[in-house]
Amino acid sequence: MAYNFQFSGLLPYLQNLVDGLVTTVVITLITTVLGCLLGTLCAAARAGQSSFKSKVVGVYVELIRNTPFIVQLFFIFFGLPALGLRLSAWEAGTLAMVINLGAYSTEIIRAGIEATPKGQIEAAKVLGLTRFQTFVRVVLPPAIQKIYPALTSQCIIVMLGSAVLSQISVQELTFAANFIQSRNFLSFEVYFVVAGVYLLLSIGMRQLFNGIHYLVFPNLRAQR
Amino acid sequence: MKTTKLFRNSKTILGKCIRMVGAITLSLSALSAQANQLSAIQERGELVVAVPQDFPPFGSVGKDLQPVGYDVDMAAFLAESMDLKLKLVPVTSANRIPYLQTGKVDLVISSMGKNAEREKVVDFSRAYAPFFLGVFGESQATVKSPADLAGKVVGVTRGSVEDLELTKVAPSSVTIQRFEDNNTTISAYLSGQVEFIATGNLVAAKIAERQSNRDLVSKFMIKNSPCYIGMRKSEPELLSKVNTLVAQGIQSGKLDELSIKWFKATLPEELK
Amino acid sequence: MNEFTNWDIFQALILAARWTVVLSLIAFLGGASVGLLLTFLQISSRTALVRIARFYVELFQGTPLLMQLFLVFFGLSLLGIDVSPWTAAALALTLFSSAFLSEIWRGCIESLPKGQWEASRCLGLSYFEIMRHIILPQALKVAVAPTVGFSVQIVKGTALASIIGFVELTKAGTMLNNATFEPFKVFGMVALIYFLLCYPLSVASRHLERKLNVTG
Repeated sequence: MAYNFQFSGLLPYLQNLVDGLVTTVVITLITTVLGCLLGTLCAAARAGQSSFKSKVVGVYVELIRNTPFIVQLFFIFFGLPALGLRLSAWEAGTLAMVINLGAYSTEIIRAGIEATPKGQIEAAKVLGLTRFQTFVRVVLPPAIQKIYPALTSQCIIVMLGSAVLSQISVQELTFAANFIQSRNFLSFEVYFVVAGVYLLLSIGMRQLFNGIHYLVFPNLRAQR
Repeated sequence: MKTTKLFRNSKTILGKCIRMVGAITLSLSALSAQANQLSAIQERGELVVAVPQDFPPFGSVGKDLQPVGYDVDMAAFLAESMDLKLKLVPVTSANRIPYLQTGKVDLVISSMGKNAEREKVVDFSRAYAPFFLGVFGESQATVKSPADLAGKVVGVTRGSVEDLELTKVAPSSVTIQRFEDNNTTISAYLSGQVEFIATGNLVAAKIAERQSNRDLVSKFMIKNSPCYIGMRKSEPELLSKVNTLVAQGIQSGKLDELSIKWFKATLPEELK
Repeated sequence: MNEFTNWDIFQALILAARWTVVLSLIAFLGGASVGLLLTFLQISSRTALVRIARFYVELFQGTPLLMQLFLVFFGLSLLGIDVSPWTAAALALTLFSSAFLSEIWRGCIESLPKGQWEASRCLGLSYFEIMRHIILPQALKVAVAPTVGFSVQIVKGTALASIIGFVELTKAGTMLNNATFEPFKVFGMVALIYFLLCYPLSVASRHLERKLNVTG
């Protein structure tokens, strides 16, 4: 079969791609911040003394981790309006991503918290720190440091998962690709270029996270 | 740091790979096209047709998840007349043309309308089914023309004729939400995510008939856009065969029969 | 017209879930074979091989699975290779899971103390002997739990095959939704079936992890 590749056919749609890229980046940014925050709160609840809270969080984490993201997305977008909560595609997509990252980061952060030696918590108690102070100042910093690579990898995975938001008409990068494909029918060219953009995005995110790691945990510098 | 070095490496390799892929694609595109598609189909003994599975009454699924509908019966009629086995491939509005371009199907019988962009990549048969594009919404909504849509949210299936036409006529303040397939568009309307949808009259009638929680009535018509059978470009033998069969079907009353079965009316005169 | 009872919907979904299971198995076996090869490339001493493997892993970990599916499905066809949704889904999921599995396994091997390599070498063992008797038995033990854990990702990844027209659980869900117009019920059942498939794997993975942490 003869097929001529026409990458130049994409040029008129450059603006669509840029707009899509911006949306993907913004959604990823919001998701990373809110998702990790949600994960920290839930991890604290899991490690905390209330067994009820711990169980609720447990159910949430298991439900999200054991069902596909696309099904969760359809649920939030099509299901929640029946309960009276109508979100725009953009809001529904971002909410689904935050909930998704929240569940994964809960598990990751909890693993870090559990690795904190009991003695340190007891020492904090002896020093008269409140439970909140103990959690924020004693337990959390080494926990985050320990699980930082796993947590940031998860953020990148969630960024890549945002491609699925195109299915509910969020105008992110994959939506732009599909849109262009439906106008000029250059499917391979579009997907090839957009896959490349995603690759650069994930490499860029990794580098950025490494940079932040370097700034936030200066005690690691000596080890490099 | 180790990863930093790895990334630097991967970038140079990436460059090499792009050049390599470029070279491969150039040499492959030089390969010659295969000969007459009609004889290829006859040799194979099987007609592969793209049909919708999310667009009643043209195509949806029965209890066993097999496609049923006007387009499906149309495909069966063609295969039968050509004495071929029939293989149905369910597609969406967005991916039916890539399916055709990439040779995954011989024909697209998927309530497809004709427009200039599509004619660049697809050859069309004569029309085989009626289709009136319109904007539909709840009965109490007061919208009578594209201008009345200002500030409203309209759902449409991406890449469909209704998408392209609506994009042309809608004022700039209309939010057009484009969905992957008709199924998602319909769900978006039924769950209240969009106030209106642009789709075909027969499809809207089918939705209104099947569900009750939100009514769906015609607001205004955009375009008369009958359906055509699509095939790959420059296959004159296949095109003329399909055209002959469609004409025969119309003359013998076979298509009217299908139309009564699925649309509850005979085909309009202008198609005959 | 079609009147679907709840039982009809559930039955149709369960039947479609077969293909989710079959596709998951193919992707896991394919991914494991390719992943194993990649793991050895990644820990080899040849820089060129390491780079190729690293590039492969970066490529498939750094792009969305959805894009990989689109590219395999539409891209290969344009290059003149005919791929069915079956082949495309199996191939894309194999590429995807091999990248992640090899990364998991490389991590397991590298988590073993360097001293073990050095000690074995001092004892005069060859590369093959070190692998066979020292490294792999230990790495295998560490690797079981995360590997089972990743299989959950594979099962969930098969949901995206629905977008290229592969009729598995999610696709059956959208098709039935269109025939019944009851998204809440249909996607509820779809989510439930995925949960029933994935949860046992998650539990098994955690159980294995705990068991190994105690003994190891």
